[in-house]
Amino acid sequence: MLRYVAMRFAIWIPSVLLVMMAVYALAFYGAGDPIKLIFLRAPGDVAYNPERIEAIRESAGLNKPFIEQFGYYVWNLIQGDFGNSLTSGRSVWAMVKAAAPVSFKLALCAIVLTALVAIPLGMIAALNQNRRLDYIILGSALFLWAIPAYVAGPLLMVGLIVLLPGVNVPYGWGGVFDIRIILPLIVLAFQPIALIIRQTRAAVIEVLSEDFVRTARAKGVPEIVVAIKHILRPVLTPVVTQLGLIMITIVNGAIFVELVFGLPGLGRLTVKALTNSDYPVILAITLIGSFLVMISNLLVDILYPLLDPRAVDAKRSR
Amino acid sequence: MSVVQAQPAPLAEEAPVSLWRDAWYRLKRNRLAIFGLFVIALLAFTALFGPYLTPYDFLGQDLEARNQAPSLAHLFGTDDLGRDVFSRVVYGTRTAFLVAVVVTTIALAIGTTLGAIAGFFGNPFDRVIMWLTDVTMSVPNLLLVVVINASLKTPIAQWMEARYLETLNPFYRETVWIDFLLVFGSMALISWPPYARLVRAQVLSIRSRPYITAAQALGLSNRIILMRYVVPNALGPLIVAVSAGLGTAMVLESAFSFLGVGVNPPTPSWGNMISDGLRVWQHYPHLLAAPAAVLGLASVAFSFLGDGLNDALNPRGSK
Repeated sequence: MLRYVAMRFAIWIPSVLLVMMAVYALAFYGAGDPIKLIFLRAPGDVAYNPERIEAIRESAGLNKPFIEQFGYYVWNLIQGDFGNSLTSGRSVWAMVKAAAPVSFKLALCAIVLTALVAIPLGMIAALNQNRRLDYIILGSALFLWAIPAYVAGPLLMVGLIVLLPGVNVPYGWGGVFDIRIILPLIVLAFQPIALIIRQTRAAVIEVLSEDFVRTARAKGVPEIVVAIKHILRPVLTPVVTQLGLIMITIVNGAIFVELVFGLPGLGRLTVKALTNSDYPVILAITLIGSFLVMISNLLVDILYPLLDPRAVDAKRSR
Repeated sequence: MSVVQAQPAPLAEEAPVSLWRDAWYRLKRNRLAIFGLFVIALLAFTALFGPYLTPYDFLGQDLEARNQAPSLAHLFGTDDLGRDVFSRVVYGTRTAFLVAVVVTTIALAIGTTLGAIAGFFGNPFDRVIMWLTDVTMSVPNLLLVVVINASLKTPIAQWMEARYLETLNPFYRETVWIDFLLVFGSMALISWPPYARLVRAQVLSIRSRPYITAAQALGLSNRIILMRYVVPNALGPLIVAVSAGLGTAMVLESAFSFLGVGVNPPTPSWGNMISDGLRVWQHYPHLLAAPAAVLGLASVAFSFLGDGLNDALNPRGSK
């Protein structure tokens, strides 16, 4: 088991490095001169004084070749230093640390909501396979999957205000237990819910044809007990493996949800950095996003053999 | 349906019902998929013949008729510059379809090539290509495209400017092309992995099927084996993937325009119309609702059609 985890980790590190390098190269070659970007905004005409620029470049180590600068960036990164924002001059890490809790709480709530709503719905759909209820649930899941967050958010907002006059616009952040979290949470959970409903349904249908389910039913175990005890357990495996994909949809969705509902999280930080071409911030957030997804995938790889011991043998023989 | 016509007639023996006709029967029974097909056909028609359908120029400003609510003269109303929203939505359809088709074509070409190489030649190509696929898929695609777009915009613009000064060809002054070029390139760069995976899996699985061995044993030429057995069997899942990919690309394009890194105004795109509408929706909800509803409809239609195609073309996969 330990060897398996170590192996996964060994494969994982070059992947992270590749992503970091690609993103860094884009910013390095494409972003233009960071010194100029800083001083274009500064008072005075430093940006047009080549000697001063060269001096600053020299002192910041920005005249070194790409690989050296990249190594330096990674080295700082390991020590938790993401560099400084070009616009505000604040440390990127501090900005991320201020914004991250909002996004993380929202994402966590969305995952919990997804699990609570989607797994039962997927089971109901599967148990009523090819009946009306099944079609309704599946159709709604497809619909939720297809509707983008920046369409659903504003339309729900308009709808809410029109239907319930006197309600405040759900804009801003007041913590997890604030009423304003409901709408963004629902919109953020749309895609994960759709994904998990379909996964659960497919998995349950597969389990339903297993011998142990037939046996349980034959010996008269009540349907609800069969559903929870015999079906739910094996269904969790394929659902858990979707964690990486869920993470992607949540990271993507958070950008729009936070923008539409005015939540001060990582998504809004991204958009703000984008409009200001604040590359250190964009770089940091892209890395954090990829890191989250990759960690989720790693977690799935590690959890998978625990959930389904058969998988280890299959993987070894591969 | 061009697929049905493009299918060569069965060679000697009489096939009772061809794979495609069979699939078409199954697709027809799926009401949601037919709805999707209908909406997509309508939108494609709009995209192709847009200029003949719009009552106004999409840039034409009528300052006397600003911010009008929907009426007979302006079906979706007018925006803050007095531009007809219906015409802009129609032109947005053109943008959306152009991006979706071009991006999917490029991504399909890259993905098919890499997937086929990985499947045919095996290691070490297989390992490297699959690793690249995994890494690309594990980056949140929105963030990656945003980074690509944001960082390549200036160099490309500078290059175009330099070319213009060199050649004085007005083509290089057309900044719209920069937007499109960037959107095409960056989106294709993140969209290829699913196709690569799919093609590789298809190649691996079909290559080892008994009917291929049988065909080889019968002495059929490689070309006939490829055309008669490999391509039709690999095509089904690929069609499903392309249908899903078109919808995804369309939504992504709007997403980038919404964030301001995609197609920039004044070129109309559903995304930048939604983003503009979001600022004033409390006063003029139609500016937000019209593009948002059309985008939602298009996305849902592709999703329904893709699902129906999946059921129709892979009958074994869906129980």
